[in-house]
Amino acid sequence: MRLILLILAAIACILLSLFLGSAPLSLTDVSAALSGNGSELNQQIIWELRLPRALLAIFIGAGLGASGAALQGYTRNELAAPGILGFSACAALGAVVALYFGLPHLVTPAALIGAGIGATLILGIAGLKKSAGVLILAGVGVGALATAITGLVMNFAPNPWALSEIVYWMMGSLRHADMSGLFICAPLTLLGIGCLWFIGPDLKSLSLGELTAQSLGVSIGKVQALLVTGVALCVGSGVAIAGAIGFVGLFVPHITRMIFGPDPARLITRSAIAGGIFLLLADMVTRAWSGPGTTLYLGILTSLIGVPFFLWLVVREVRT
Amino acid sequence: MIRLSAKNLSSGYGDKEIISNISLDAKPGSLIVLVGPNGSGKSTLIKTLAGLLPAKQGDVLIDDQPLQNLDLRVRAKQIAYLAQDRQAMPSMNVRQILELGRAPYRGRLGQISHMGEVAIMQAINYADLKNFLHRPFSQLSGGEQARVLMGRALAVDAPILLADEPIAALDPYYQLAMMEILKAETSRGKTVITALHDLSLTEKYADEIWVMDKGKVVFNDVNNNGLPAELVEQVFKIHMIDGRISPIKVGSV
Repeated sequence: MRLILLILAAIACILLSLFLGSAPLSLTDVSAALSGNGSELNQQIIWELRLPRALLAIFIGAGLGASGAALQGYTRNELAAPGILGFSACAALGAVVALYFGLPHLVTPAALIGAGIGATLILGIAGLKKSAGVLILAGVGVGALATAITGLVMNFAPNPWALSEIVYWMMGSLRHADMSGLFICAPLTLLGIGCLWFIGPDLKSLSLGELTAQSLGVSIGKVQALLVTGVALCVGSGVAIAGAIGFVGLFVPHITRMIFGPDPARLITRSAIAGGIFLLLADMVTRAWSGPGTTLYLGILTSLIGVPFFLWLVVREVRT
Repeated sequence: MIRLSAKNLSSGYGDKEIISNISLDAKPGSLIVLVGPNGSGKSTLIKTLAGLLPAKQGDVLIDDQPLQNLDLRVRAKQIAYLAQDRQAMPSMNVRQILELGRAPYRGRLGQISHMGEVAIMQAINYADLKNFLHRPFSQLSGGEQARVLMGRALAVDAPILLADEPIAALDPYYQLAMMEILKAETSRGKTVITALHDLSLTEKYADEIWVMDKGKVVFNDVNNNGLPAELVEQVFKIHMIDGRISPIKVGSV
């Protein structure tokens, strides 16, 4: 029942977002454009701008939410998230390198390659001793390395234009969202969420500790490989399209946990939907807030919401 | 009946060998207690027998089949393992934790089968959990938590149960309760191998005693005739007379 309400909320948010933008469209305009009627301009606004942007927010948010839920389930640590475990930083490094060389059209594949290399490194180090603790250390370490190299690239940016491009890109935004981006992001995200969904039951067994989970037939190596692949696909495709968007993967699973209970397998799908809704709402706020010439960046907004939440979690952890 | 045995088994962590050249045969339906000082290799042996730690040499055999040839889920249905540290998700309730014992039987979407429900009901009875079935794990006392995790291991309904120090840090009431649960399992035909530190409980409950020292099984008392005094002195560096233990004066061994 609560799942159906969540899905309905997502659909309602998508529909609502179609009305938001600089060109005011009425209910009849939107419904006509959606069904392929109405003026060509309105159809273009809906099909080429607003709908892809809304769907991209849903998919990217879903990937981040599912990744956070799976990482928190695997590490049995509620502070784990794709941003903290280095995946986002590796994807960002790939994109920044593309921008450094003045190749903005290669940002998407570069971010995906960055996420892939990062994931391979993290998995390689974590594979030395297959345990959640080692995965966290490997993720934090690889992420710090990626951030350091990103700083180096910015340090040697060939011109102010490249530097400003990198800085804007790192603040995260969906303003360049289009259908071609959706066609890249959606299948990769769905594949990633599929990997994470597949290990859901194993994450449940892992709540009893790694040894007990193994005794119940769980292969830690397989779970770790699917987890890292799934997170890399979700985060890589999201960062490739929208730049760095932090903290969604950290706090969305917490909110879903409050509503749906602690079962880590169920949380993956629920956090995916909730993450989509959250990112779409956040993007709608940035669109409503941004006037001509002043853009509120999506990544800035999610961090402004996410960081206080993170600190609250830390305080709560200390108190209990 | 399914028989667990080991042949020339060596195992350890990294390059370090903790147990070496152990051969044993667990008689089906018996309660086998593994005793030995800290660091003698009890946990390592239990983990290796459970297939959780790969053997460096030799084999663990289930009915003459090497354990490493078995599919993980097939193995999981044959050997239940109760870990020494009592970990579970704090917000999960007891019933949800017991259901995890059925993991080897469930598919990705799978509901618990009728057989699984029966196994869970039995585990609830055997471990006496019906009074707090819906309480979250974090709200239970240490003894109750230990019993819940024991129930989780019983819910697997495997013919072999390996329990690593199941009574560590429990009060006497729960120590006896846990030992009674293990003993009752053997009366239902299960083979139980458990590591203990309490020598008097060992003599009270064991059908068979394996004494470990420095990575080897140094004594195998198949009928539990009681641990010989010289052995206890040599291995544990204590005296034991009529189940009472006392220290040996330093330097006298």
